[in-house]
Amino acid sequence: MSAIVASNLVKRFGEKLAVADTSFAVGDGEFLVLVGPSGCGKTTTLRLLAGLEAVTSGDIAFGERIVTNLRPRDRDVAMVFQDYAIFPHLTVFENIAYGLRSRHTPRQEIAPRVNQAARTFRIDHLLGRKPRQLSGGERQRVALSRAMVRDAAVYLYDEPLSNLDAQLRYQAREDVLALHRAKRRPSIYVTHDQSEAMALGDRIAVMRDGTIQQIGTGDDLYSRPRNRFVAFFIGTPSINLFEVEVRAGDGEVILQNPAFSLNLPSSLHQAVANHIGKRVTFGIRPEDLHVPRMAPFEVTPENTLHGVVNVIEPTAVGSTVYLSTQEDEPRDFVATFKQRVPVSYLGKEIPLAIDAAKAQLFDPDTERSLREWD
Amino acid sequence: MASVEVEHVVKYYDTADAVSLMGTFTRPPALDDVTIRLEDGETVSLVGASGCGKSTLLKVVAGLETPDRGRVLFDAMDVTAMAPQDRGVGMVFQDYALYPSMRGKGNLAYYFQVHQRSEAEAEQRTRKVAEIMGVGFELLMGRVPTTLSGGEQQRVAIGRCIVRDPSLFLMDEPICNLDAKLRESTRLELKKLLRNFAITSLYVTHDQQEAVFMGDRIAVMRGGRIEQLGTFDELYYTPANLYVARFIGAPPIAVMPATIEDRRVSIGAASWSLPDLLADELPPGPLQIGVRPEGWHLNAADGAVLPVRHIERIPTERSSFLFTTLGGENIVIAAPLDYPQTEQIHVSPDWERVYVFAADSEETVRAPGVLELF
Repeated sequence: MSAIVASNLVKRFGEKLAVADTSFAVGDGEFLVLVGPSGCGKTTTLRLLAGLEAVTSGDIAFGERIVTNLRPRDRDVAMVFQDYAIFPHLTVFENIAYGLRSRHTPRQEIAPRVNQAARTFRIDHLLGRKPRQLSGGERQRVALSRAMVRDAAVYLYDEPLSNLDAQLRYQAREDVLALHRAKRRPSIYVTHDQSEAMALGDRIAVMRDGTIQQIGTGDDLYSRPRNRFVAFFIGTPSINLFEVEVRAGDGEVILQNPAFSLNLPSSLHQAVANHIGKRVTFGIRPEDLHVPRMAPFEVTPENTLHGVVNVIEPTAVGSTVYLSTQEDEPRDFVATFKQRVPVSYLGKEIPLAIDAAKAQLFDPDTERSLREWD
Repeated sequence: MASVEVEHVVKYYDTADAVSLMGTFTRPPALDDVTIRLEDGETVSLVGASGCGKSTLLKVVAGLETPDRGRVLFDAMDVTAMAPQDRGVGMVFQDYALYPSMRGKGNLAYYFQVHQRSEAEAEQRTRKVAEIMGVGFELLMGRVPTTLSGGEQQRVAIGRCIVRDPSLFLMDEPICNLDAKLRESTRLELKKLLRNFAITSLYVTHDQQEAVFMGDRIAVMRGGRIEQLGTFDELYYTPANLYVARFIGAPPIAVMPATIEDRRVSIGAASWSLPDLLADELPPGPLQIGVRPEGWHLNAADGAVLPVRHIERIPTERSSFLFTTLGGENIVIAAPLDYPQTEQIHVSPDWERVYVFAADSEETVRAPGVLELF
């Protein structure tokens, strides 16, 4: 049994607080992905777990073992790096075998394990080559093979796919999962790629300024964000955010903004009950803005947002349209469609119907979500 | 503003002593007979893997590299021999192009000092660009470049170029160092500026999504040649060859060896009766069939039974991706986000959407063309 438990991790670099009192646990066999903007502390957190950086305070346990003050090699960690950390002077075989030799694995065990790992990742025909004779994708599979031959307590990944061409990443994701399924050990994976995070993670932790903002499934983070930061960070294109004033009367609750006045469905009245007459932040995902005559709800002038089309980006399944409102201070917003929007709409003003039931609502000061998620 | 023509440009990077006594070059040319025309006010993206020649082409247009053969024309005037500073070209590179001793506004006004325009003129244009780039840009004014973050530095560099009223704007990976969220907003700002000022521009990137967003048309390059120049729809639905088909679209198109016989097509163990349209058109014998992730019928009555290795669920893309194998090729099939968990699927290609390539070359035999949605 080996799960990862990080308790009150703190890491300072001089004045800078890179990791600020962060606690989390990764279950046995669980795959946790850390995401966040650059400088959020995700890579530092990973390096603390690996022992490549010393904690300022806090504790790290792998199963029953407290490893906080152990050297990296004594922690029993397998790590896959972004630059693959392959020795250029060693053959592919020796690179894969390196971790086994340095741990004094019996000689007769090494070759079968290396061969099997190389077969799994389709590089068994390259074992005699030197790294410079390999493509980026092949090097990346050498790094995965090296982790595969180990039998480590925990597996850590630092953006292992970010140097690959987009076309290679889908296959590479599958390779990472193959490694994880073979090992079933607690794993932590750092990436800046949201699709990758969603594809791989049992759970995803969103970090900001050295703290974890929310841990959950991809759907939790996307549909039920705990705060404004998570709502904005997860999702490309980003959620549209508007400052609105909450007005109530005659059993109705209206979100008022120069660009629209939206009647909130009664299921959401409770969320803004303490903010009547005050401002809140209203968020709506690009997919929840609809072409009025195709909207699956009643469209009125009040729930319609008008915007001038700045950019139409074609996608495989439709279009992403970037618009600006026509106020004195125009605001940019984005809508995605399953239909192809003709280029002739560029520069024109179009109406879009807001699906009010999909509203995200945040306290403008604390940035916490006002919606209650079960 | 200008139209730009590049005519039959060849560029070698071999130096004289690398040329053999026979007068031939030892390495293939960096640009191999490139011809391209940019219309006035148009943005063309140059995209391709590293080493494809996209940056070299940009430098030839800028005048930073001299072509060994061919011509460059701005508004029908031959500028091949003209010095870069005389071409009226604005440039922004990945690693910024600031004059570090000057403040933000000084940077913008520098051009006017050099080109002896009036203070008022400089002030007015500077203000206009600052306005379009948003309040944040005004805040940048008067700050010393070295204290700016990467994203702000790049915004200053872009603003400076646009204030110069360049006849042509050249950008080489200008925002690839920025964090994902900042990239999203900066590229939108940039696109709005290019459209607003109708600036003819070339945009180099390795990222196909960015190429599609920025470019009115996109040039896919490989080995010093332009494989295809066109809109996203042209590249996606009528690729000139297999390379372009594979390069555009993520997850990538699946390309499988197939055989046509008696108006039926076989891919691996699977076999389908061809619809008349294809059966009449395609010659019997071997060829390759390409199907994009969204180009499959799931649960088809005549579907091949394929094992599902795993299913990725990506809430942010409202999609699932099913990973399976057909004809010895790993393939990815797009499905709705809530597609049920399953061990096997019955699939057949949507024959209206299939791509056909020659068996032993990259030649496109048949492409679906843009699908009519209405």
